[in-house]
Amino acid sequence: MNHYERPTPLQEQANGEALRHFAEHLNQFKANCDTLRGIEGNLSTTANDALKSALLSPGRVIQTDDGTQWQHDVDLSNITSICHRRAAAGLEFAVVECLPLKSGEMREVLNSGHNAREVLQTFMHDQRQVLNLWKEDVKAQVKEHLAEKYPRQDMGIVVESFEIKMARAISETRAHTQSHSRGVRI
Amino acid sequence: METIPKNEEPAAAPPVERLAYSVQEAADMLGVHYFSVYRLIQRGKLKTCHALRGKILVPRTELLKLLQTDLR
Repeated sequence: MNHYERPTPLQEQANGEALRHFAEHLNQFKANCDTLRGIEGNLSTTANDALKSALLSPGRVIQTDDGTQWQHDVDLSNITSICHRRAAAGLEFAVVECLPLKSGEMREVLNSGHNAREVLQTFMHDQRQVLNLWKEDVKAQVKEHLAEKYPRQDMGIVVESFEIKMARAISETRAHTQSHSRGVRI
Repeated sequence: METIPKNEEPAAAPPVERLAYSVQEAADMLGVHYFSVYRLIQRGKLKTCHALRGKILVPRTELLKLLQTDLR
Protein backbone atom coordinates (compact mmCIF):
# COMPACT_ATOMS: atom_id res chain seq x y z
CA MET A 1 0.00 0.00 0.00
CA ASN A 2 0.97 3.65 -0.39
CA HIS A 3 3.40 4.83 2.28
CA TYR A 4 2.03 8.37 2.47
CA GLU A 5 -1.61 7.64 3.08
CA ARG A 6 -2.96 5.32 5.74
CA PRO A 7 -5.46 2.83 4.27
CA THR A 8 -8.81 2.36 5.97
CA PRO A 9 -9.72 -1.12 7.30
CA LEU A 10 -12.03 -1.56 4.31
CA GLN A 11 -9.24 -0.68 1.90
CA GLU A 12 -6.93 -3.13 3.73
CA GLN A 13 -9.57 -5.82 3.35
CA ALA A 14 -10.10 -4.99 -0.32
CA ASN A 15 -6.36 -5.07 -0.93
CA GLY A 16 -6.03 -8.54 0.61
CA GLU A 17 -9.00 -9.81 -1.37
CA ALA A 18 -7.73 -8.32 -4.64
CA LEU A 19 -4.26 -9.76 -4.05
CA ARG A 20 -5.83 -13.21 -3.72
CA HIS A 21 -8.07 -12.69 -6.74
CA PHE A 22 -5.21 -11.52 -8.99
CA ALA A 23 -2.52 -13.76 -7.48
CA GLU A 24 -2.15 -15.79 -10.68
CA HIS A 25 -1.75 -12.63 -12.79
CA LEU A 26 0.81 -11.18 -10.39
CA ASN A 27 2.79 -14.44 -10.23
CA GLN A 28 2.83 -14.76 -14.02
CA PHE A 29 3.82 -11.14 -14.36
CA LYS A 30 6.71 -11.57 -11.92
CA ALA A 31 7.80 -14.80 -13.63
CA ASN A 32 7.91 -13.01 -16.99
CA CYS A 33 9.88 -10.12 -15.47
CA ASP A 34 12.34 -12.68 -14.05
CA THR A 35 12.69 -14.35 -17.47
CA LEU A 36 13.32 -10.99 -19.06
CA ARG A 37 15.85 -10.12 -16.36
CA GLY A 38 17.64 -13.42 -17.10
CA ILE A 39 17.83 -12.64 -20.82
CA GLU A 40 18.99 -9.09 -20.15
CA GLY A 41 21.62 -10.21 -17.67
CA ASN A 42 23.10 -12.53 -20.31
CA LEU A 43 22.61 -10.20 -23.26
CA SER A 44 26.29 -9.89 -24.21
CA THR A 45 26.92 -13.61 -23.81
CA THR A 46 23.82 -14.46 -25.86
CA ALA A 47 24.83 -12.02 -28.60
CA ASN A 48 28.33 -13.56 -28.67
CA ASP A 49 26.88 -17.07 -28.75
CA ALA A 50 24.60 -16.11 -31.64
CA LEU A 51 27.53 -14.67 -33.57
CA LYS A 52 29.68 -17.76 -32.91
CA SER A 53 26.83 -20.06 -33.91
CA ALA A 54 26.24 -18.06 -37.10
CA LEU A 55 29.90 -18.30 -38.06
CA LEU A 56 30.52 -21.91 -37.06
CA SER A 57 27.42 -24.07 -37.33
CA PRO A 58 24.60 -24.11 -39.90
CA GLY A 59 21.77 -24.53 -37.33
CA ARG A 60 18.28 -25.81 -38.10
CA VAL A 61 16.27 -23.89 -40.67
CA ILE A 62 13.16 -21.95 -39.65
CA GLN A 63 10.96 -20.59 -42.41
CA THR A 64 8.92 -17.61 -41.23
CA ASP A 65 5.43 -16.78 -42.52
CA ASP A 66 6.82 -14.08 -44.84
CA GLY A 67 8.74 -16.80 -46.70
CA THR A 68 12.24 -15.96 -45.48
CA GLN A 69 14.54 -18.67 -44.16
CA TRP A 70 16.55 -18.29 -40.97
CA GLN A 71 19.02 -20.53 -39.19
CA HIS A 72 18.49 -21.07 -35.50
CA ASP A 73 21.25 -19.88 -33.16
CA VAL A 74 20.12 -19.50 -29.52
CA ASP A 75 16.78 -19.98 -27.73
CA LEU A 76 15.60 -16.94 -25.74
CA SER A 77 12.44 -18.58 -24.40
CA ASN A 78 10.34 -21.59 -25.34
CA ILE A 79 8.80 -19.63 -28.26
CA THR A 80 11.48 -17.08 -29.20
CA SER A 81 14.99 -17.56 -30.52
CA ILE A 82 17.72 -15.56 -32.13
CA CYS A 83 18.44 -16.69 -35.68
CA HIS A 84 20.58 -15.53 -38.61
CA ARG A 85 20.69 -15.61 -42.38
CA ARG A 86 23.32 -14.60 -44.90
CA ALA A 87 22.20 -11.51 -46.80
CA ALA A 88 23.94 -9.48 -49.51
CA ALA A 89 25.05 -6.96 -46.87
CA GLY A 90 26.46 -9.69 -44.61
CA LEU A 91 25.06 -11.60 -41.65
CA GLU A 92 21.60 -10.58 -40.56
CA PHE A 93 20.22 -11.53 -37.13
CA ALA A 94 16.59 -11.73 -36.09
CA VAL A 95 14.48 -12.60 -33.10
CA VAL A 96 11.99 -15.16 -34.41
CA GLU A 97 8.83 -16.15 -32.56
CA CYS A 98 7.16 -19.52 -33.22
CA LEU A 99 3.73 -19.15 -31.63
CA PRO A 100 1.73 -22.38 -31.42
CA LEU A 101 -1.81 -21.13 -32.05
CA LYS A 102 -4.69 -23.64 -31.99
CA SER A 103 -4.95 -23.36 -35.78
CA GLY A 104 -1.26 -23.89 -36.43
CA GLU A 105 2.13 -22.37 -35.74
CA MET A 106 2.65 -18.70 -36.52
CA ARG A 107 6.31 -17.90 -37.29
CA GLU A 108 7.26 -14.27 -37.29
CA VAL A 109 10.35 -12.10 -37.33
CA LEU A 110 9.95 -9.74 -34.37
CA ASN A 111 12.92 -7.56 -35.25
CA SER A 112 16.14 -7.89 -37.20
CA GLY A 113 19.45 -6.20 -37.90
CA HIS A 114 23.13 -6.77 -38.61
CA ASN A 115 24.29 -6.50 -34.99
CA ALA A 116 23.14 -9.34 -32.70
CA ARG A 117 23.47 -7.23 -29.56
CA GLU A 118 21.35 -4.41 -30.99
CA VAL A 119 18.74 -6.90 -32.17
CA LEU A 120 18.52 -8.28 -28.63
CA GLN A 121 18.34 -4.79 -27.12
CA THR A 122 15.45 -3.86 -29.41
CA PHE A 123 13.71 -7.09 -28.46
CA MET A 124 14.13 -6.27 -24.74
CA HIS A 125 12.80 -2.76 -25.27
CA ASP A 126 9.71 -4.21 -26.98
CA GLN A 127 9.21 -6.75 -24.19
CA ARG A 128 9.23 -3.97 -21.60
CA GLN A 129 6.51 -2.22 -23.59
CA VAL A 130 4.51 -5.45 -23.50
CA LEU A 131 4.94 -5.61 -19.72
CA ASN A 132 3.70 -2.03 -19.46
CA LEU A 133 0.65 -2.92 -21.56
CA TRP A 134 0.01 -5.91 -19.27
CA LYS A 135 0.41 -3.71 -16.17
CA GLU A 136 -2.13 -1.18 -17.47
CA ASP A 137 -4.60 -3.95 -18.27
CA VAL A 138 -4.27 -5.53 -14.81
CA LYS A 139 -4.71 -2.10 -13.25
CA ALA A 140 -7.96 -1.67 -15.21
CA GLN A 141 -9.11 -5.15 -14.21
CA VAL A 142 -8.39 -4.43 -10.54
CA LYS A 143 -10.34 -1.17 -10.83
CA GLU A 144 -13.29 -3.00 -12.39
CA HIS A 145 -13.19 -5.80 -9.81
CA LEU A 146 -13.10 -3.39 -6.86
CA ALA A 147 -15.86 -1.19 -8.30
CA GLU A 148 -18.10 -4.27 -8.49
CA LYS A 149 -17.21 -5.59 -5.03
CA TYR A 150 -17.04 -2.27 -3.20
CA PRO A 151 -19.40 0.09 -5.04
CA ARG A 152 -19.13 3.79 -4.22
CA GLN A 153 -15.97 3.24 -2.13
CA ASP A 154 -12.71 4.98 -2.90
CA MET A 155 -10.28 2.17 -3.73
CA GLY A 156 -7.72 4.33 -5.52
CA ILE A 157 -5.06 3.48 -2.95
CA VAL A 158 -5.50 -0.27 -3.61
CA VAL A 159 -5.27 0.17 -7.39
CA GLU A 160 -2.19 2.31 -6.88
CA SER A 161 -0.49 -0.37 -4.76
CA PHE A 162 -0.94 -2.90 -7.61
CA GLU A 163 0.46 -0.44 -10.10
CA ILE A 164 3.49 0.28 -7.90
CA LYS A 165 4.24 -3.45 -7.42
CA MET A 166 4.15 -4.12 -11.16
CA ALA A 167 6.04 -0.96 -12.14
CA ARG A 168 8.75 -1.89 -9.63
CA ALA A 169 9.07 -5.37 -11.16
CA ILE A 170 9.55 -3.81 -14.62
CA SER A 171 12.07 -1.24 -13.44
CA GLU A 172 14.07 -3.90 -11.56
CA THR A 173 14.66 -5.73 -14.86
CA ARG A 174 16.08 -2.55 -16.35
CA ALA A 175 18.30 -1.74 -13.35
CA HIS A 176 19.66 -5.29 -13.49
CA THR A 177 20.65 -4.85 -17.14
CA GLN A 178 22.39 -1.57 -16.54
CA SER A 179 24.44 -2.90 -13.62
CA HIS A 180 25.42 -6.08 -15.45
CA SER A 181 26.11 -4.93 -18.99
CA ARG A 182 27.91 -1.67 -18.29
CA GLY A 183 31.17 -1.51 -20.23
CA VAL A 184 30.65 -4.85 -21.96
CA ARG A 185 30.98 -4.71 -25.72
CA ILE A 186 31.19 -7.31 -28.43
CA MET B 1 -65.70 -25.32 -18.16
CA GLU B 2 -63.11 -24.08 -20.47
CA THR B 3 -59.59 -25.14 -19.95
CA ILE B 4 -56.99 -22.52 -20.21
CA PRO B 5 -54.28 -23.64 -22.57
CA LYS B 6 -50.91 -23.89 -20.92
CA ASN B 7 -48.42 -21.31 -21.97
CA GLU B 8 -45.85 -22.96 -24.10
CA GLU B 9 -42.30 -22.76 -22.82
CA PRO B 10 -40.47 -20.13 -24.83
CA ALA B 11 -37.97 -21.70 -27.18
CA ALA B 12 -34.44 -21.44 -25.84
CA ALA B 13 -32.75 -18.46 -27.42
CA PRO B 14 -29.69 -19.31 -29.49
CA PRO B 15 -26.49 -18.52 -27.65
CA VAL B 16 -25.44 -14.96 -28.37
CA GLU B 17 -21.91 -14.70 -29.68
CA ARG B 18 -19.94 -12.15 -27.79
CA LEU B 19 -18.46 -9.26 -29.66
CA ALA B 20 -15.26 -9.01 -27.63
CA TYR B 21 -13.20 -10.95 -25.11
CA SER B 22 -10.75 -10.21 -22.33
CA VAL B 23 -7.08 -10.95 -22.91
CA GLN B 24 -7.34 -14.10 -20.82
CA GLU B 25 -10.35 -15.34 -22.81
CA ALA B 26 -8.60 -14.47 -26.08
CA ALA B 27 -5.57 -16.48 -24.92
CA ASP B 28 -7.80 -19.49 -24.24
CA MET B 29 -9.39 -19.19 -27.67
CA LEU B 30 -6.04 -18.97 -29.43
CA GLY B 31 -4.47 -21.67 -27.25
CA VAL B 32 -1.56 -19.54 -26.03
CA HIS B 33 -0.43 -17.89 -22.79
CA TYR B 34 -1.88 -14.44 -22.20
CA PHE B 35 1.59 -12.85 -22.31
CA SER B 36 1.65 -13.93 -25.98
CA VAL B 37 -1.66 -12.14 -26.52
CA TYR B 38 -0.25 -8.92 -25.04
CA ARG B 39 2.70 -9.36 -27.40
CA LEU B 40 0.38 -9.76 -30.40
CA ILE B 41 -1.46 -6.60 -29.33
CA GLN B 42 1.77 -4.67 -28.89
CA ARG B 43 2.90 -5.68 -32.40
CA GLY B 44 -0.44 -4.60 -33.90
CA LYS B 45 -1.38 -8.18 -34.87
CA LEU B 46 -4.54 -7.92 -32.77
CA LYS B 47 -6.49 -4.67 -32.70
CA THR B 48 -8.24 -3.96 -29.42
CA CYS B 49 -10.87 -1.78 -27.82
CA HIS B 50 -11.27 -0.79 -24.20
CA ALA B 51 -13.99 -1.36 -21.61
CA LEU B 52 -15.30 1.46 -19.44
CA ARG B 53 -12.47 1.31 -16.90
CA GLY B 54 -9.77 0.75 -19.51
CA LYS B 55 -9.66 -3.06 -19.56
CA ILE B 56 -8.40 -4.38 -22.89
CA LEU B 57 -10.97 -6.19 -25.02
CA VAL B 58 -10.16 -8.16 -28.16
CA PRO B 59 -12.96 -8.12 -30.77
CA ARG B 60 -14.10 -11.56 -31.90
CA THR B 61 -13.51 -10.56 -35.53
CA GLU B 62 -9.85 -9.90 -34.75
CA LEU B 63 -9.42 -13.35 -33.24
CA LEU B 64 -11.08 -15.01 -36.22
CA LYS B 65 -8.96 -12.97 -38.61
CA LEU B 66 -5.78 -14.07 -36.85
CA LEU B 67 -6.80 -17.71 -36.82
CA GLN B 68 -7.78 -17.59 -40.50
CA THR B 69 -4.54 -15.87 -41.44
CA ASP B 70 -2.70 -18.54 -39.56
CA LEU B 71 -4.64 -21.30 -41.33
CA ARG B 72 -3.69 -20.17 -44.81
